[in-house]
Amino acid sequence: MTKVLAIEDVVGGLESGMTVGIGGWGSRRKPMALVRAICRSSLRDLTVISFGGPDVGLLCAFGKVRRVIAPFVTLDSIPLEPWFRIARQRGLIEFTEYDEGMFMFGLLAAAHRLPFLPTRAGLGSDVMTINPDLRTVRSPYSDGEELVAVPALTMDVALLHLNRADQRGNAQYLGPDPYLDDLYAKAATRCYVSCERLVTEFKEGPVQSLLISRSMVTGVVETPGGAHFTSCEPDYGRDEAFQRAYLEATTSADSWRNFAQRYLSGDEGDYQRAVAG
Amino acid sequence: MAEILSLREAVASLVRPGDTVAMEGFTHLIPFAAAHEVIRQGVTDLTLVRMTPDVIYDQLIGMGAARKLVFSWGGNPGVGSLHRFRDAVENGWPRPLELDEHSHAGMANRYVAGASRLPFAVLRGYRGSDLATRSPTISTVRCPFTGEELAAVAAVNPDVTVIHAQRADRDGNVQLWGLVGIQKEAALAAERVLVTVEEIVDALDPRPGAVVLPSWSVHAVAVAPNGAHPSYTAGYTVRDNDFYQAWDPISRDRDTFLAWMRAHVLEAA
Repeated sequence: MTKVLAIEDVVGGLESGMTVGIGGWGSRRKPMALVRAICRSSLRDLTVISFGGPDVGLLCAFGKVRRVIAPFVTLDSIPLEPWFRIARQRGLIEFTEYDEGMFMFGLLAAAHRLPFLPTRAGLGSDVMTINPDLRTVRSPYSDGEELVAVPALTMDVALLHLNRADQRGNAQYLGPDPYLDDLYAKAATRCYVSCERLVTEFKEGPVQSLLISRSMVTGVVETPGGAHFTSCEPDYGRDEAFQRAYLEATTSADSWRNFAQRYLSGDEGDYQRAVAG
Repeated sequence: MAEILSLREAVASLVRPGDTVAMEGFTHLIPFAAAHEVIRQGVTDLTLVRMTPDVIYDQLIGMGAARKLVFSWGGNPGVGSLHRFRDAVENGWPRPLELDEHSHAGMANRYVAGASRLPFAVLRGYRGSDLATRSPTISTVRCPFTGEELAAVAAVNPDVTVIHAQRADRDGNVQLWGLVGIQKEAALAAERVLVTVEEIVDALDPRPGAVVLPSWSVHAVAVAPNGAHPSYTAGYTVRDNDFYQAWDPISRDRDTFLAWMRAHVLEAA
């Protein structure tokens, strides 16, 4: 049974107000082709769960976001994601900030279909103060220790980008890090995987690189260059020059209009052609 | 850092009377050779922990090494009851055996909590079962967000975890692969870790799906070829299914059992 879809099929199945988890990490292996398609859509009021990078930034730039839940939003080589920064400084979005350990337990809780999981991560830090909705639980045993209760990061949809996938939805990463993509797949009601290349057999990489099982996947899209301008090792590295151009474009309304006109006014094919120059 | 010792030295230095000892390995890589050395050294009053106590714990229990068993299933896999375990529970022979019984998911979570150095783990388990009323290590917590009541199992942190693996290198880094059970979690939860291996090699080559326990998480490595028999070690030995069948008549009778242990364990070093 094939689960192969077009980009517009995936985005056409989403609804405003949904909670969308986005895989990858910072400016690494982000499903940017799907993110760009959301930017072109009429969707809005999304809650975005992400180890944030330009995925979060672009969605903020196009007014798609109501709330971001993240441990960071960064471009890695550029510390602060510029559009996320602008959206926060203008008060355009709400933000739930966790540290990375708490965030991982939130994904794990959702993947296990538990309402929360306990952790020591976050104790003694201001993350508890700036998140008044966070709670603690006390150990029911004689130690009586108080731990942070991280609520499950349950999501309607997860969007992932992997190096290879087959038409049934199995997917493989070939880079140095799986990130937490497998937890996103399990935490979501529906999971869509974009990939650099659809294959009929996984002939590259070791067994453990087969990260995503088809049982977790709703649909697959082949999007060559679909992580651009984030990295997708070993197929390509981060496009640092483009990332700097993106940063510079955010410095004024005019420069952003020009950037968006040049790169983000058409479909994914137009984007890839514009990048190729 | 792990020391490479003989099995006799490793057991003598790590396993002490009264310890809580977890011997793990699910069907595969069960550390029989180490258990036999524990029996030969007469270490006793142990609290034995294991998700699936099978013939290995039948032997330890029958020889009077254990005062308590923490477990989530017990049996001779594919054959039937464990007769020594049964005799200890039903008749207190050779000594009474205290029980702490859990579900598999509960035991796995207890090891994970122990390895994470958390006091307890949360799961949606034990519902509709009497286990919770009989165990001091099953409690509940209420989700502070949804109000749902969930099982909270106490972490298990063994004094010693004993496992069998394919290989170690000369620095004591351990590598195991194939059907890997809860060994990683049981090792990381323990105060001391004893690993028997089929062989020591100059360098560990990468294996798909392998677990590597770094030397700093292991205290002693001992070479014990075929040390998982009658269970097996993938890539080295095959499971001795006939032995599991043969164990049933051997273990049914106290004297037959003791004679077998004398001949095959106590007098075989």
